[in-house]
Amino acid sequence: MKPRMTLRWIVFAIAAFVMNFPVLATLITAFKPPGEVARNPSLWIEAPTLQNFAAVLTVSDRLNVYHYLWNSTFAALIGAVLPMVVALPLAWAMVRRGVGRGVLFPLVVNLRALPLIIFAIPLYMMYSVVGLLDTRLGLGLILAVVNLPLTVMLLVNAVAEIPAEIEEAAHMDGARLPRLLFKVVLPLCRPALITTFIFGFITAWNEFLFGLMLTTRDAVPVTVGASFFFATSGGGVQWGMAAAVMVVAALPPLVLGLVMYRRITGSMVAGAVKG
Amino acid sequence: MTPRRSVENALLAGPLVLFLLAVLGFPTLLSLIYGFSETSFQTLTTPQFSGLKNFRDVAADPAFWQAAWFSLRFGAITALLQCGLGLALAVYLAPLARRHGWTVAILIIPMIVAPAMMGLMYRLVLHEFAGPVPHYLYSWFGWSPSFLGPANVFKTVVVAETLQWTPFAFLLFLTACQSIPEDLREAAAVDGTRPWRLFWKIELPLMMPTVFVALFIRFIDGFRVFDNIYTLVGAGPGGSTTSMSIYIYETFLRRGEIGKALAAAILLFATAFVVLAAAPRLLRGRSA
Repeated sequence: MKPRMTLRWIVFAIAAFVMNFPVLATLITAFKPPGEVARNPSLWIEAPTLQNFAAVLTVSDRLNVYHYLWNSTFAALIGAVLPMVVALPLAWAMVRRGVGRGVLFPLVVNLRALPLIIFAIPLYMMYSVVGLLDTRLGLGLILAVVNLPLTVMLLVNAVAEIPAEIEEAAHMDGARLPRLLFKVVLPLCRPALITTFIFGFITAWNEFLFGLMLTTRDAVPVTVGASFFFATSGGGVQWGMAAAVMVVAALPPLVLGLVMYRRITGSMVAGAVKG
Repeated sequence: MTPRRSVENALLAGPLVLFLLAVLGFPTLLSLIYGFSETSFQTLTTPQFSGLKNFRDVAADPAFWQAAWFSLRFGAITALLQCGLGLALAVYLAPLARRHGWTVAILIIPMIVAPAMMGLMYRLVLHEFAGPVPHYLYSWFGWSPSFLGPANVFKTVVVAETLQWTPFAFLLFLTACQSIPEDLREAAAVDGTRPWRLFWKIELPLMMPTVFVALFIRFIDGFRVFDNIYTLVGAGPGGSTTSMSIYIYETFLRRGEIGKALAAAILLFATAFVVLAAAPRLLRGRSA
């Protein structure tokens, strides 16, 4: 190996270590027995154990991690799928017919840049009137808004890449609009839809502010549930268990993200550049 | 346009428009009503019109201006640090990333972790008894700063935000760097151009549009920061890490001053609107 490349590997290793340090340290702490954390805060585990994970994954009065995980899954599914359902028809209408190009598209895209707290308070008030406060559906609806800008951008890009000739050929064959959308546009957009879904699911799963404000007990997502674990544990924080909760909470998006990292890196760049 | 076509278009755009109206339109209306009213959680259904009183309260609150100043500084500093670091890493590691794609996956892990989780993780890492960072500083240097104390907390949250989101800037710059045609570099190499000169004279100018986009996005995200600061230190010692978002949140839920919180949110919205309307023009002006 050329020395210049070796230096690059060293820089990569340092950057990876520093930027991932909190994740790494949390992972290590999660495998330390309760007594060891305070005595040995180093990155070395003297007596590795799974008991923190066993405690976290056991349902108790104080903690039911499955409840949080289910809330996050349900809300994130709504938050990822709903924007695709409403955005795909608009994306097609915009690309092929210019519908919404002047006002609607810039409006939606700019939502990405607004501080979410602006909407959190009036939503809290509206939800308390219509009974959506502390429900998975209510949380999912607002997560759908969070995902809408990127979804619209990615799907507009995807529709724009469909060659117009394919659609014209289908049109010649007498396909009406619904048939054209379902039989031609939808299948051709499938790769983009998968990417959009993964990205939306991760974003929705990781969201915190709305979970904090709009849920209290029944619909608490795992990001908020994990933070309870730090605040309410009376005396000192049980670091081993807290670390295990965080590992469990961070794992689903991490696995999804790493398995599909090529797709999400591409879409992140597309979203940023078009925005 | 034929009537059928316009019906079709309405049906195609309809779901998105209805969804936006229901989930954002109505709440926006609510915030305008309550922003100009005297309200508390007890009198939620009977708001009393109070004109600009809430806005005067906000403008007279030093904590509001402190939060605005914090968010501006935080957004600007973190955006510059992330883009500087991200650009350097992207240009330097581009040959490595081209041959070994998995290295990119390792570097983007921080941005797949929820910012709220990252804040909690830093709480563990920096904890004076259980945290590895103070532990190693003590055993190597016999001394460790109080990371979350008043003197250092701003630097700490800036570093935490920077380390989590430098990967975003890195990714944008890496893509931009790899889309520069290879024959440009080869031509420069044939002419005997040194790598450093290649960067300043060819690569950086070609990546300049991406630099502005990245700075803008990172500034926006830094300005509206909530999750990681809130889970790491909350409002901070003496309110020193109260960002705009944390200020509005605390005013609303902790102090129950609904009208005032909404007035602050409306001011924030108006500012963001002006900036967003002006930004594309500024960016275009630069590239022209």
